Amino acid sequence: MLAENRCVRLSFPNVIQLVNLSKSVLVLAFCMAFTGCDKSPAPAFRLNDVEILKQEKGSLPQGEHFAASYGEEINAVLTSLFGTPEEPKFPYLDGDEDEAHEFVNFDDLKWAAGRVHSDRDGRPISGLYREHCSHCHGITGDGAGPTAAFLNPYPRDFRLSKFKFKSTPLRRSPTDHDLELILRNGIPGTAMPSFRTLPDDEIKALIHYVKYLTMRGQLERLLISELSSLEGEPLMDMSFAPDGDLVAALGKLESDEDSDDEQEEPSEDQEAFEEQLDYILNELLLEFVLPRWSETEDSVTEVPPVPDSIAASHPDHAALVDKGREVFYAKGNCAQCHGDTAMGDGQTASYDDWTNDWIKSAGVDPTNRKTYKDFTDAGALKPRVIRPRNLRLPIYRGGGLPQNLYLRILNGIEGTPMPAGATLTEDEIWALVAYVKWLPYEHADKVKPKMVNNKAIAR
Amino acid sequence: MNRFWSILFFSVPILAIVTFLLTQFAIWPFEQVWFGESFSDAGKTIDGIFNGIHLLCAAILLGTVMTIGWIIWKFDHRRYQSNSKAAYFSHNTTLELIWTAIPAVILIALAFVQMNAWSENKMERPMTSVNGTMVEAPPTVLVKAKQFGWEFYYPGADGILETEDDLYIENLMVVPERTDIVMQLESRDVIHSFFVSDLRLKQDVVPGMVQFAWFNANRTGDLQILCTELCGFGHYKMNAKLRIVPQAEYEQWLAELQNEYYP
Repeated sequence: MLAENRCVRLSFPNVIQLVNLSKSVLVLAFCMAFTGCDKSPAPAFRLNDVEILKQEKGSLPQGEHFAASYGEEINAVLTSLFGTPEEPKFPYLDGDEDEAHEFVNFDDLKWAAGRVHSDRDGRPISGLYREHCSHCHGITGDGAGPTAAFLNPYPRDFRLSKFKFKSTPLRRSPTDHDLELILRNGIPGTAMPSFRTLPDDEIKALIHYVKYLTMRGQLERLLISELSSLEGEPLMDMSFAPDGDLVAALGKLESDEDSDDEQEEPSEDQEAFEEQLDYILNELLLEFVLPRWSETEDSVTEVPPVPDSIAASHPDHAALVDKGREVFYAKGNCAQCHGDTAMGDGQTASYDDWTNDWIKSAGVDPTNRKTYKDFTDAGALKPRVIRPRNLRLPIYRGGGLPQNLYLRILNGIEGTPMPAGATLTEDEIWALVAYVKWLPYEHADKVKPKMVNNKAIAR
Repeated sequence: MNRFWSILFFSVPILAIVTFLLTQFAIWPFEQVWFGESFSDAGKTIDGIFNGIHLLCAAILLGTVMTIGWIIWKFDHRRYQSNSKAAYFSHNTTLELIWTAIPAVILIALAFVQMNAWSENKMERPMTSVNGTMVEAPPTVLVKAKQFGWEFYYPGADGILETEDDLYIENLMVVPERTDIVMQLESRDVIHSFFVSDLRLKQDVVPGMVQFAWFNANRTGDLQILCTELCGFGHYKMNAKLRIVPQAEYEQWLAELQNEYYP
């Protein structure tokens, strides 16, 4: 009896031993957890695998791939020009620092890049982009951060160099001010929040970093589109660039050309390298990527003064709205997409340019997952249709003031099926703006008027 | 181990008193434990009730813990010599009545003390005079919470919300000082909670419900609006600025908002 009891009982010393044992196990596990792994590797820019796959499908026989070394070469070229997420660089080609400052501010770039880090007063030292943006837009600015797949619409992929809400016409880059407005106000109706509580200088730094990521991504796309024409030749033999610095190599090349010194004949590979260097830096980067961002203020569309009758209290407001309704259904043809009820149900099978970019590849059916599985494996997000805006909700992504809507109608919205209203006159656009602003408060039975000879007549 | 348990029990009230004094006089390391001075008079009433309850709880805690400590100290089995056996009793009706009645009285008293403050802050919306009759004041600003930010709508020229001339701004709310501000709170998606600690104002925002909250700020300043209901992965960045300005400045700001979408 006694013996049995002793075996079963958790006597006091036993408990102490147990506690000690589990303590040492815990300490051991703790030590292993912290000594076992070093600091996680610094995040790197991700190669645009979707674009590579798209080019492969476009130019190679079914199932064949570009040599993996091309990916490394593209990374090497981009790292040489733009640095890494930890150490961003910006190529200034003529050795003229001021010219590069036109595009980005180097101090701001450094401030926005790197790991999230702040001083004792909580003022950020680095890592603004990673703190505020990267979980949706991704380290690379590819719009595929960890939370991206949960959002509708998806976060913007900067690499296409297309921006929707801006004061400049289609195919022109937004001004710094346009980007600032987006950061300050957010985009109503989307997951893009307002960063109004951030100080001005932090917002400015983020704008420069977004521009930097955009230019880097665009050059990357251009480089990838070169791959199909290379036929096995290296894109860029980095062994010819001293210290892997392409900008310095180009500077040396150009200064050698200027001086008429007798030089030994360069080898064939050296010549190929110099040719590619000249092509990539001078033609692709300097002539194609950078100019889009140069003096963007000059291409801003002027918005004429807003007519007074746009206010609902104005006596001419009803007439203006009626005129707008007529343009909406007839000349403007807005109803074709936005629907006869203006609830955004006119067409529901379009995709935006970021999706169209790859779903137009051979054999891809955006409604059939099997046909695009290799693209989603490469990092593309599941294609989703872009719906025309429901104009009966007073939510305006690019801003709800008449001036903002005027720009949307006149210039269209880049990257979407919304076209520029080039054929509309100024008065017609203001009438449309008045109508669109009035729509959420109009009775829903007042829809499409009867049309005779493209003129609306009262029912 | 002599006196270990009694000293342990005594250390609780001693630590409590020290911590209380350090926090009350903002001494290191408790400089910023309490909220700053309230920006609204209603907030001061709330602070008064809070401090009262706090002191009451402190008194009860000190009384209880010190009694236990004193008993352990006095009846230490190594020192306390007594020949009497421990008495056994199952219950004591008088004692139980006392320890039920005293808290009941305290709780009922608290309920009466806070009644006015609750009613002023949550039930009696400020009134305004329309054509000579007093009606509930219309909302000054419509707040729509969303994942993850705050949308603020101001009535435009017509003074009525949810019409086509509404003014819109995100993550910045500007209100005049010394004016009754009524907010209409709505949610676009999930449950959020509107919290301005400096006004002692907190109101859950529930999708599908229209709620009202109000305050009257007694001085100017920049305050922080926080979401205090875990609402998703971006909850941590769901904050906005509340700027309290003099009336003239407020009107000027409103006019600017009317003319330029992006101030």
